[in-house]
Amino acid sequence: MPETVTQMVDSPALAILIGIAGVMGALTFNALFLVWLERKASAWIQRRMGPTEVGPFGVLQTIADMLKLLSKQLITPKHIDKPLYHIAPVLVFVPVVAATSLFPFDEHIALSNLDIGLVLVFAFGGLGIVGIFMAGWGSNNKYALLGAMRSVAQNISYEIPLILSALSVVLMVNTMGGPETNGMNLAQVAQMQHDKGYWFVLVQPVAALIYFIAALAETNRAPFDIPEAESELIAGFHTEYSGMRFALFFFAEYANMFIVAMVATVLFFGGWSGPVLPGPAWFFIKTYGIVFAMMWIRWTFPRLRFDQLMSFCWMILIPLSILNLLVTAFIARAV
Amino acid sequence: MGGITGLLMALAVAGGLLAVSLKNVLHAIFGLALTLLAVAGLFAVLGSPFVATMQVLIYVGGITVAMVFAVMLSTVVQKHATESPWRRAGAAVVALGFAVGVGMVIAAAGLPDGPAPELVADAWTVRQIGTSLLGDYNVVFEVLSVVLLLAIIGAIVISRHEGEEKQS
Repeated sequence: MPETVTQMVDSPALAILIGIAGVMGALTFNALFLVWLERKASAWIQRRMGPTEVGPFGVLQTIADMLKLLSKQLITPKHIDKPLYHIAPVLVFVPVVAATSLFPFDEHIALSNLDIGLVLVFAFGGLGIVGIFMAGWGSNNKYALLGAMRSVAQNISYEIPLILSALSVVLMVNTMGGPETNGMNLAQVAQMQHDKGYWFVLVQPVAALIYFIAALAETNRAPFDIPEAESELIAGFHTEYSGMRFALFFFAEYANMFIVAMVATVLFFGGWSGPVLPGPAWFFIKTYGIVFAMMWIRWTFPRLRFDQLMSFCWMILIPLSILNLLVTAFIARAV
Repeated sequence: MGGITGLLMALAVAGGLLAVSLKNVLHAIFGLALTLLAVAGLFAVLGSPFVATMQVLIYVGGITVAMVFAVMLSTVVQKHATESPWRRAGAAVVALGFAVGVGMVIAAAGLPDGPAPELVADAWTVRQIGTSLLGDYNVVFEVLSVVLLLAIIGAIVISRHEGEEKQS
């Protein structure tokens, strides 16, 4: 089991500071890297160049963008719902930071090692939805409100198959391990795959597929990016936000991709487990591999219509994930 | 009572006051969300992180959002325009009666004096909660799911009814 920062450092306040600094640094790097990767990946797929001017292959482009966003004037529209408008970006951003601290990126060291880590990740995901809704309502703009409503409906619906598919893995881990095993402890799930010598994607392919699709919808990524369908809704729930406030939404969006990819890495792809390279290297290679797959899909498939999106979730994904859970339970019982 | 517990209690009360005093229904709902979050924090402080997480997942992430949605789907955002003094008086009587009732129950329960006993670490693990939910408290658990089923059927009935009215 990994040793946590709290166990290594004497003072809890210092441990919290180290945790926040580590997470913020990782998330900032993550956002800068992913925005650059997204632009480059979309350019490759569409036979364009993407950013080339700032730094080699344009890698410094996003740093320049960030500095621009930081120095931009904050425009506050009139007739907004002031308290909600101002709280929303913070409420979207804070849960993301908290959720990122939960992951075991190495066999020996982690920021935290909680028995309910998996549930906590989903709980923080649910908090973000409230923030998105506040943004849409507080902006007092019909496009923002429509985008927020779509986003909330979509997030609530796709949370069900997301959690059910993750639950299949939890069930399996609890059955395979002894009474001391806890499948909601992310470190233990990774450890078990390392001990067994195979990834759970091999035994739970249906759950992995359902998880991946639901994760695309949860992060509002194409082909499920209906909340900010730019051809219909300008920019959806963050239409009225500018400068750093907009950057916080953008930041949270890329951090959310990172988080769902990390959950997938731990649940289905063995976490830090892998030959030769050290644990964190494998963990981040797998995570960014999944993120790249999400980008690949975004730039390959067209956007769904809203009713298609909802009926796909309720008619196909949810029954399938319940069925998968039942089959897993029966097999676990039989073995 | 530690500082964190006191802070969480104050936040819970403040959120409750916001929920009942704000004119805008949506603001009131977000006030309620603050209360629910603070209660989740209290659960965590009292040594039950799983219940705290579930509180956030279901109540803050689920119920609050569902309430917001219900408000959005209704055509008019009400601003307490139809409130009469009689209704206020009635509400006050009900609230007071409830508070007195709960107070009497607490007084009759005979809570022990003195400092609270030490928190038992891992007293409420997921495994224990699951075992008692599907073991000792199985009936309660199943009755709760009947309530949820009723709510779902009710929602279907209401939405169907509205659909027919629009068609005619």
